Amino acid sequence: MRTVVCIKQVRTLGDEVEFTDDGRDVDPDYVDLALNEWDSFATEEALQLKERLGGEVVVVTCGPEESEAALRRCLAMGADRAVRIEGVAAHDPIGVAHALAEVVRDEEPDLVLCGVQSSDSVQAATGTALAELVELPRVAVVTRLEPGDGKATAHRELEGGLVDVVEVDLPAVLTIQTGINQPRYANLRAIKQAEQVEITVRQAASAPAASRVRRMFVPPRGEGAEMLGTDPGEVARRIADLVKERTA
Amino acid sequence: MARDPKHDILFEPIKIGPKTMKNRFYQVPHCNGFGSEKPFSQAFFRAGKAEGGFGGVATEYCSISPESDDTHRMSARLWDDDDIKNLSLMCDMLHEYDCLAAAELWYGGPHAPCMESRCVARAPSQIPSDFEYLTYAIEADKDDIRYLQQLYVDAAKRARTAGFDIVYVYGSHSYLPQQFLTPFYNKRTDEYGGSFENRARFWRETIEKVKEAVGDDTAIAVRMSTDMFLGEPGTQLKRDCLPFVELVDHLVDVWDINLSGIAEWGEDATPSRFYEQGRALPWQAAVKEISKKPVLGVGRWTNPDAMSDAIHEGKLDIIATCRPSTSDPFLPKKIEEGRLDDIRECIGCNVCISRWEIGGPPLICTQNATAGEEYRRAWHPEKFTTAKNADNDVLVVGAGPAGMECAMVLGKRGMRRVHLVESADDMGGTMRWIPQLPGLGEWARLVNYRKIQLDKLKNVEFIPSTTLAPEDVAGYGAEIVVVATGSYWATDGLNGASHDVIPGADASLAWQATPDQLMGEGKTLAGDSVLVFDNDGYFMGVSISEKLALEGKKVTLMTPLGHVAPYMHFTLEAPNMHRRLHSLGVEIVPYHLPSRLEKGGVVATHVYDEHGAERTWDVDGVVLVSQRRSNERLFRSLKDDIGLEALKAEGVDALYRIGDCEAPRLIADAVFSGHRLAREIDSPDPSVPLPFRRERRVIDPDFVASERAWHESAMAGTA
Repeated sequence: MRTVVCIKQVRTLGDEVEFTDDGRDVDPDYVDLALNEWDSFATEEALQLKERLGGEVVVVTCGPEESEAALRRCLAMGADRAVRIEGVAAHDPIGVAHALAEVVRDEEPDLVLCGVQSSDSVQAATGTALAELVELPRVAVVTRLEPGDGKATAHRELEGGLVDVVEVDLPAVLTIQTGINQPRYANLRAIKQAEQVEITVRQAASAPAASRVRRMFVPPRGEGAEMLGTDPGEVARRIADLVKERTA
Repeated sequence: MARDPKHDILFEPIKIGPKTMKNRFYQVPHCNGFGSEKPFSQAFFRAGKAEGGFGGVATEYCSISPESDDTHRMSARLWDDDDIKNLSLMCDMLHEYDCLAAAELWYGGPHAPCMESRCVARAPSQIPSDFEYLTYAIEADKDDIRYLQQLYVDAAKRARTAGFDIVYVYGSHSYLPQQFLTPFYNKRTDEYGGSFENRARFWRETIEKVKEAVGDDTAIAVRMSTDMFLGEPGTQLKRDCLPFVELVDHLVDVWDINLSGIAEWGEDATPSRFYEQGRALPWQAAVKEISKKPVLGVGRWTNPDAMSDAIHEGKLDIIATCRPSTSDPFLPKKIEEGRLDDIRECIGCNVCISRWEIGGPPLICTQNATAGEEYRRAWHPEKFTTAKNADNDVLVVGAGPAGMECAMVLGKRGMRRVHLVESADDMGGTMRWIPQLPGLGEWARLVNYRKIQLDKLKNVEFIPSTTLAPEDVAGYGAEIVVVATGSYWATDGLNGASHDVIPGADASLAWQATPDQLMGEGKTLAGDSVLVFDNDGYFMGVSISEKLALEGKKVTLMTPLGHVAPYMHFTLEAPNMHRRLHSLGVEIVPYHLPSRLEKGGVVATHVYDEHGAERTWDVDGVVLVSQRRSNERLFRSLKDDIGLEALKAEGVDALYRIGDCEAPRLIADAVFSGHRLAREIDSPDPSVPLPFRRERRVIDPDFVASERAWHESAMAGTA
């Protein structure tokens, strides 16, 4: 089974944030880089499938050279190959999906795994857009995956603790939820070996951007909030009064 | 980052008599084991706090005469002009950081045993010390009183010559001036005893004389305990202290207000087990209310919000710290720079104080492994050199106190990659559950600080829930392997009293348990009664007893020692611990060693009974707090089964072990062990500590000749 795992190197923030001079991005000095948490679960799921069924795991990302650190983390975990696509704006999930679609078409995988969302953009759009572009069925927010012959059974997490069990024809695009497995650690030897692997770099074909960043800012603090105290009984009475007041 | 404006008040200068302190951070007098006789250790220790932003830093108690010799405990001394030279280094180094230097002039009376000087102290009344044994003082007559007051004056002048900006007339902790003030110590019927005016006379006159001698350019501080918790005979806030403030406020430049007498000074240096931050604030605020002079006071302050509140609310003018300034000498700088999550908060374990109580050794700190090492090992709490072998990858196995500290310091020393691998799902080792023992919640700060630091280090990766087999370690890919797998409580009763196991002891049985099982593994003991056997002597046996008693069990605490938890005498936890165990109905059985355990009963003998007569305690369960054993299976397997040669073939150039895995020890020493290895990871042989600089008198031929000549003339009576 060949699985393509689409990953992202996310940006994490500390307590303080400054923006670039044009006000459209976070100042890189205030940013740490890491493999998106959801994608480490997706990679682990692909590796476990490979261990059971054979085949290979190909990890793909869109980003500049520094994002190769995230690919190498997946290689250290056990992925076989890595592809990096240059020339796409990372904030635009549709543009990213277009770029990923080119690789997916070339690789002809049996399965495509994405994380549910990225921890920095939190749009949860890339996986679904990718499925549409490559015309494959997709299952979102997968918490359990059982591959069968030419198909797979997937558990989808719904709201309120409900689980939807679906059967999907393969190849398909699945977005993987955290907690589906326990991602393995990479020991130092694997990390060192992953440093030696050559990463395929390709340019994204031009695709229409579906979104652009106009402004990034810390939302101004609102006014008029009223604290209702700490005594639960008193708070409840105040809420009841307020509801009566505002709905009268 | 910038400091939070709500902490601005902490950085406002304040006038102290003829001096101005640049901010509100002050290190009150506290011992460090260096005195005047280890001048470099003393100066570098105090200067570290000045570098960290403290506006004022004091000596420890500083004896004014051989009559006040606390040996075996270590005080500073200003007995003669040579002592001026030694303490002036501290003053000079503080002044380099624009920090005021204070000397706490001290006369102990009957509490100072004079074991080096063989002098006899003077005191208001002839009653032996409630802190020491066999120490009587001379009941001072009027000439003695004038003599004593002159000692303060002479020492104050020496302090000024040494460069001190502030001199104390120190009364707190039951020392001489406060002995006169307090009926508990003062039984006189002359004009120095009886009424408040009479009891206050000695201290008032002494302050006047010191003020007269040096007050034009040196600030006068008075340290007063405002409650000794001794009832009517002890110092009373309203009866004694507030009137005393009114009496001498015009002479005093700064008040240092605290609590307690010397016998239970854990009421002042409060263990976190019993008291929270700011415990003395009501007493300090009472003085502040009537004094026109700045008031400073301790409170184990680590939280800048609480510090700012205390000043804004008019309860204190200056935030005084001793333990928090040792745990983090850079407390002020970190607050100023808004780096609050970098503050290494004091956990209030009082292991620092234990060293003074033991008498002699330098202080140590559980949180700050560099405390006391500023000079002799040239360790800086915040600065780390890049290791010469920083191109190496390191595997640290075990994320307890030693492993966390080692990984953190290796990370700060710039090792290429550090992997900290832990079998449990989070960091801490035994320190994950020790803070869950009654009263020990603040000890979790040890883990929290390191977790935050490790998280910030990009070259350190924490790998939880992973148990490495020896071959996993060998093939891990690290050039340096550090084993920090800790220790466990013996399950067979092995102990240092009999140097043997206890027949019938087997913690795999349902009715027996070790602390690891009770706290770390959730094991419970059935039945209403339990006997805790403790030969550890520190916090574990009593803490387990307290926990089980709080859960409703009838607890018997048996130890072959003469006291339960004798080490807690040194950490000042003993008195309140005893009160707590007593109030919970825990039966204490000292001097007894179990000869065998049987289901339903513990058979024990008195350790001094020549006939070994046995007595049986009927109990449902037994907890074994007998001793710890190193958890060295992984280390032994790597070294003995795989072998260093085979490891080398796998690329492992070095194998070390640290902390309890080497030998069980205090938590402070486990942290130190991890820190030490990381500081010296690029030394010729990191497994052996580098020698430290020793402050000793090294003699050369000229000196030998002059000393022998002196001795000869002294013998001849012509010196």
